[in-house]
Amino acid sequence: MRITCPLCGERDRREFTYKGTALAIPALDAGVAAWDDYVHMRDNLPGAIDEWWQHDMGCGSWLKVTRNTVSHEMIAVVAGEASGLGLAEAQANPEDQA
Amino acid sequence: MGALLQRRAGTARHDAVAWGYARGADKFGVDLIQNCEVTGIDVEGGKVVGVQTARGPIKAKKIALAAAGRSSQVAAMAGLRLPIESHVLQAFVSEGLKPIIDHVITFAEGHLYISQSDKGGLVFGSYLDFYSSYAARGNLPMQEHTMEAIAAMVPAVTKARLLRSWGGIMDMTPDGSPIIDHTPIEGLYLNAGWCYGGFKATPASGHCFAHLIATDRPHAAATKFKLDRFRTGKGLMDEEGTGAQHNLH
Repeated sequence: MRITCPLCGERDRREFTYKGTALAIPALDAGVAAWDDYVHMRDNLPGAIDEWWQHDMGCGSWLKVTRNTVSHEMIAVVAGEASGLGLAEAQANPEDQA
Repeated sequence: MGALLQRRAGTARHDAVAWGYARGADKFGVDLIQNCEVTGIDVEGGKVVGVQTARGPIKAKKIALAAAGRSSQVAAMAGLRLPIESHVLQAFVSEGLKPIIDHVITFAEGHLYISQSDKGGLVFGSYLDFYSSYAARGNLPMQEHTMEAIAAMVPAVTKARLLRSWGGIMDMTPDGSPIIDHTPIEGLYLNAGWCYGGFKATPASGHCFAHLIATDRPHAAATKFKLDRFRTGKGLMDEEGTGAQHNLH
């Protein structure tokens, strides 16, 4: 299994650490149901899934990878801002240092 | 250097166990319908009324799901999501050898186990591949890790050839512990989330599940295996102390 890192190119799976299913992080005050959904509940159906892989033995980027869980085919890889990683609050207020 | 010896432990022939239960169930008058896929679960007014199958519908007041690896797929037929991710665990068998191992040898820190089947093959394995999968096969990095670890633990096995390997689909829960419970749908029961520890729990798990289905009360040994423990945070069974979220078990 190989992942094409947008910065480093196609690399062996061993350079990456799987970080789990990629889901939009709820707002901090979204409530128990939204956070239970995000932390625990999963569709978990065969086919294309979005997940985070960190290129920790390469550039260190967090990549949102779309992968087919039946064939392991890598369908898409997105890095950086376009991947939507991070809290909505932080993305809306990038200057906040709190 | 230290070790533990568990004299009462051992191995079981997985196929013999499956066929033993099949023969026993058949003797009690249970209909076992093979090669018949469930394609839908009919729910009316919050209650199950039956299933749709590749060979036609079956009405039922009580439906029990025990479809490890594909629990989410089957639950989705009733409109349910589960706190489960399906991950791949590889297993390996060597060519047949004269008896050299008459125990199960494990190295818990490496999730490593090895034993010898009565056909002579060494049966061994280690970790999950650590990504979700329905492929029923894993990749080379974890194969390589397993071979290195086994060779370090039992150097003699390096002389043997690997005969076959495969991957099983594991029902992984956030706290690494199983679920035997009602679902929010009346008459629909769930036995799932056994992660990579399911086969050895089969007799007890089945017994507890039967108790729940028959009496609508959990068996005393399974009261903690609740489906809602992740949402409430009460009764989590985080056995490895790593936290109750996915990919830590």
